[in-house]
Parts: sequence; structure tokens; C-alpha cells
Amino acid sequence: MKEFKLENSDKIKTGFSTPENYFDNFSEQLTQRLNIPAPKVIPFYKKRTTAYMIVAAIFVIALMIPILNTSSAVTTNQELDETSLENYLSYQTNVNQYDLINILDDSDINQINSPIALEDKTIEDMLVDNANLEHLIIE
Amino acid sequence: MLEEKEFIQELLDPKMQNKAFQKLLLAYQKPLYNHIRQIVLNHDDADDVLQNTFIKVFNNLKNFKGESKLFSWIYRIATNEALTFLNQKAKKHSITSETLQNKLIDNLQADVYFEGDEIQLKLQKAIASLPEKQQLVFKMKYFQELKYEEISEILGTSVGALKASYHHAVKKIETFVNSN
Repeated sequence: MKEFKLENSDKIKTGFSTPENYFDNFSEQLTQRLNIPAPKVIPFYKKRTTAYMIVAAIFVIALMIPILNTSSAVTTNQELDETSLENYLSYQTNVNQYDLINILDDSDINQINSPIALEDKTIEDMLVDNANLEHLIIE
Repeated sequence: MLEEKEFIQELLDPKMQNKAFQKLLLAYQKPLYNHIRQIVLNHDDADDVLQNTFIKVFNNLKNFKGESKLFSWIYRIATNEALTFLNQKAKKHSITSETLQNKLIDNLQADVYFEGDEIQLKLQKAIASLPEKQQLVFKMKYFQELKYEEISEILGTSVGALKASYHHAVKKIETFVNSN
């Protein structure tokens, strides 16, 4: 049998092995024992989700701007509409006093007939302030 | 050397400590495990000693003066921890270190984390027959392929003495293998 010579033979390995993932878990295990806060691992997808959420929020806010503007515009339009309607009824329609008389019933007429206590000075002031009233009275 | 000083500063700085220690673990856990395992032979014991080594390194970093390299300082701690562990184990079982060594070698055959063949087992038995210092020198030179200068820094022995130790160890191992 050939004499064994360590330096002449192939390198002999130790033959030792470790449990699977031993070194992967070792660091975590030791960090816990040492009470060092483990490094925060932020998964890439989580970062992306936050970014997506920010973009989505900006997009939604951007979409809301015209809607909010429209709703305030609608309110203004409603106010304008009432004025327009009043003007329309006053100047643009053919509704005259006879039409009004036809629409009013007895109770409305009685209500109108009820005496209103007004002093002469008050009436004068009203006539001075509202020039239109004179026109209505004449009519 | 400057890089090593900076790295030690990072290890001592609470803000950078965590990252630096992870770096240290990544660099040293495998070679240190192999070094310790070759001394204590059993995986569970190697795991315990490795954890204790890193804990000692972490707790004593502030006392590290930088008189030797970080590498040799850490290896020295690991070697001392492993040898102390074996001595305590022998004491606990009221047996000599040599008897414990033989017992550990006998247990290797049944160890799930030893995949060695006949020659690998025979080599382990041959190493166990050597004096403690020669065992260490042989394992560090033959298996871990450390330079004599590195072993010299770790064990605090001159390069000449280490070369002589290794030479004697090889001769004894060859004799053991040829006669068994």
C-alpha cells in the first residue's frame, strides 16, 4: 500500500456542514441577543405603493378642482338665475295687472286690502328712495 | 489601517453601530464558525461559542486599542472562547480534555452535520492525537489556509516556532494515518 503523505495527496476537507440557512439566520439571532435594533428592511414594492398612493392622491385632487369650481359656479348661477327670473318677470313677460287679478283669489285680495299703518313721512321717504314705485302707482 | 480605524469608529458610534456590526458579521461569521467548529467539533457547541465570541467582541470594542489587527483580535477571542468552552465541558463531565476530544471524535460518525468519509474521519482522529497547540496550528494552516504571520498574531507565537509546530504535526498525522 502506498504510504500516505499529506502534502502529496489531494486536499482533505473537514467534512463539517451546517444546518440549512444557518448563516442567514445567525445574524438575526445574534442581533436579538445583543439587543441591537435590527435594520429596517423596507421592501421595494412597499416603497412603490407609497409612491403610487401619492401620485393617485395628487391625481384625485387635480380631478376635484374643476368639480369644486363648478359647484361654486353653480351656486353663483343660481343667484343670478333668481335675479334674471325677477327681471324677466318684471320686464320681459306680458303678465299685467289683469292677469294678476285673475290669479289672486278672494283671500289674497282681502289680505291686500288690510289697512297698513303708514305715516306720510314714511311714504314720502319710500317714494324718494324708490323711483319705480311711482311708476307702479300710476299704472 | 486607516480604513480599519474608521470601521472601529463606526462600530463604536451608536448611530452607525448597527450597520457596521452587520458588516462585521457578514465578513467574519463564516471563517470564525469554521475556526471554532474545528476546535469544538460539534455544530451546536460551535454555534454557542460563535455567538459568545461576537457578544464579547461587541462588548469589548471600546477597549480595543488597535495594537493588533481587528482580524487577529477577533480570532484570538474566538480561539480563547472555544478552548475555554472545551475545558469547562471536560470539567463538567469530570474527564480530561484528551478524553473529551476522543469522545467528540467518536460522536462525529453519528453527527448529522458531519459528512466526512473514511479519510476525513481518520484525519480528525489523527489531529485529536496531537498536543493542543499543534492541533491549533495545523487546523489554521491546513484547513483555514491562514498565513504564518496571521497565525503568529493570533496565537502570539513566532513564525519560526509555528513552522516547526506545523512540521511536527504533519509528520505525526502521516504516521497516525499510515499505522491505522
